[in-house]
Amino acid sequence: MMINTGENKEVNMSSVMVGKSNKKRLNLSPYLYIGPHLILFAVFFLFPTLYGVYISFTNWDLIGDPEFVGLANYTEILLNQDSTFYEQLRIGLGNTFKFVIFTVPFCIIVPLFLAAGLNTKPKGMKFFQALFYMPSLFSVSAVMIIFAMLFSVSFGPINHYLNVDTNWLSTQPYAWVTLVIVTVWWTIGANMIIYQAALNGISKDLYEAASIDGANNVQKFFKITLPSIRAQILYTVVITTIAQFNVYGQPLMLTKGGPTSSTTVLLMYIQENAFGSGISIAGIGAAMAVILGICIMVVSAIQFFFLRQRD
Amino acid sequence: MKKKAVLMFTILFVFAMALSGCNSSSSSSGSSKNEILFWNPFTGPDGENMKQIVDEYNKTNPEFKVKNLSIAEGDMYTKIPTVVNSGKGIPDLTIVHAERIKQFVDNDMLTPYDDLLADYPEIKAENYVPAGWNIGDIDGSRYSVPLDVHSFVMYYNKELLEKYAPNALDDNVITFDEIREAGERSKKDGITGFGLTWTRPIFLSIYNQLGGDITSDGETPTLNTPEAKEALELIKGLVDDKIANKDGEDPGQLFQSGKAIFYPEGIWMQNGLNEAKNLNWGLTNFPQISPDNIVNWTSSHQFVMFKDENRSEEKTKGMMDFLDYVRQHSLPWAKAGQNPAALETLEDSEYKEMPQSFLVEDPELQKSLKIFDYKYNGFVVEEIDKLVGDAAFGKLDIDEGLEKAQKAIEDKIATNKK
Repeated sequence: MMINTGENKEVNMSSVMVGKSNKKRLNLSPYLYIGPHLILFAVFFLFPTLYGVYISFTNWDLIGDPEFVGLANYTEILLNQDSTFYEQLRIGLGNTFKFVIFTVPFCIIVPLFLAAGLNTKPKGMKFFQALFYMPSLFSVSAVMIIFAMLFSVSFGPINHYLNVDTNWLSTQPYAWVTLVIVTVWWTIGANMIIYQAALNGISKDLYEAASIDGANNVQKFFKITLPSIRAQILYTVVITTIAQFNVYGQPLMLTKGGPTSSTTVLLMYIQENAFGSGISIAGIGAAMAVILGICIMVVSAIQFFFLRQRD
Repeated sequence: MKKKAVLMFTILFVFAMALSGCNSSSSSSGSSKNEILFWNPFTGPDGENMKQIVDEYNKTNPEFKVKNLSIAEGDMYTKIPTVVNSGKGIPDLTIVHAERIKQFVDNDMLTPYDDLLADYPEIKAENYVPAGWNIGDIDGSRYSVPLDVHSFVMYYNKELLEKYAPNALDDNVITFDEIREAGERSKKDGITGFGLTWTRPIFLSIYNQLGGDITSDGETPTLNTPEAKEALELIKGLVDDKIANKDGEDPGQLFQSGKAIFYPEGIWMQNGLNEAKNLNWGLTNFPQISPDNIVNWTSSHQFVMFKDENRSEEKTKGMMDFLDYVRQHSLPWAKAGQNPAALETLEDSEYKEMPQSFLVEDPELQKSLKIFDYKYNGFVVEEIDKLVGDAAFGKLDIDEGLEKAQKAIEDKIATNKK
């Protein structure tokens, strides 16, 4: 008994000592936790970003040494109205903005309604949840090949069942319609899961109280559901907007940027200039990428500002 | 907690080390002593045919075995400048497209073959198809040895040809007039005359038949010309008169299901067509405006050596042995649907029976193989790809389109030269 208690005391004391010394010394554990991510972040994100910004101030063909040219690339794409690259930036950025404006509302509303529907716990809910989430797991090329077949003019089932011969992929406005449908279908899953989790967290008491006060379902949705998940909506709006600004695969594979460059988004021009079939013009490509990055930052900041203000 | 974090970090660290270990071991194989690292862009079914050649060569127990590495074309061309700049993991032999070589030479990235050829007298102009061989000769030095000459020609449905244009092939050349005639007849039965497939070689072939070329002197691009306008109008005419397929229709599907007579495509597509049941196809020249001046768009896969200070003389000899072996054993490559550049293949009766061999067998037709060799070829074809489809289907004013395309090419060249 005696020995036991003695041992116990010793153990207790040492743990106290460790606790005290930890407070005095620099605590390494938080850095150890973020360390792996920090290293990956630096190697795969921070360094390439800074290097990209540096390249945008140079003239480089990826082969020789980058030659510093100051702001020449930026004046070329932003100010020189005769330049092909000015045209590319204007058309590419315009089409990218169009794509964001067309797709983001649907990428928010459609998953929200699906999540609200699933939240009523219908029969086969798990099945539908899996079904709606599945497209997010497919690669962009697989999805685009499937949809190119679905929307094919002469052999596609969509034209067959609608009994029309609409050229979905290479006439406007159908090219945009197709791109929006494909993108929404492909990206439903991620936002839907977030909304489902948020809807689960709303207290049932609120709905019961509202029912007693005589609110109908529409009123409940707008007065209780939406305000309760405002934080998640803010988050998904920002994340979805950023994701759609980086659109590349859908127009590249479905419409090939056509008809007449009306769906050529900026990333396609960036790719063409930096890694096209000709000699690389990496400086111009990088400058365009920086402009795109600034646009994304500005738009996200505005969204944060407006959505936060309502609090 | 702290211990856990340390443990986790250690595991990750070891994992990262292991990963980078894998990486360095694979890249160091580039400079491995007894192995020739061979890069090529054959990631499709043709990769199997190339692998067969390499495997059979390695079975002859050469001093330097060849290590075959197929990389997707886009990735390969992005990787090349990186590895050549860093000096690590440079491939010994690489297959590149003919149109890229001038650009590599301009940047001083290639080792010429000049001094090596003395020991290999059979690697010479007389033993190769001229179009393929001439590409590698730049300013009096030899920078590449051709593997093949692959052409964009025309397939036809034998039964439909018999029905709608029985005499078209009498002179072995199908002209656009004959296609129009056949198409006028067949469209009443719902059969498409002409499949508008890959617009780039279709346009370039016609452009060259009319006397145009993408450069006048090897420096200046020439796309906005009366000949280009005429070529685009010819293609648009086929669409307007419903000889060609409609916008959005897949000509490949039409042809394979027996609903199109003429289907311009590359010779390399034939193995795919053989999979279509009930399709009896033939292969002939690309359609011509006049039978007197035949042009078949062609490109070529070429063996080059990227500069590497650490490559030994012995290894370079091993590489030459391999090239000489390929020259004599190109038959597996012909089976991929290609035309090997080595004329020795012609002595093989099996090759002579292959449909695509007609282009090489006839010395006159060898002259029709036109490679659009221009150091800014990449800039030109990017614009052609955007232009031709839209112009053909009437979405774009031809004059305006040509003007814009010409300007885009000039701007890109100017920026590049800065």
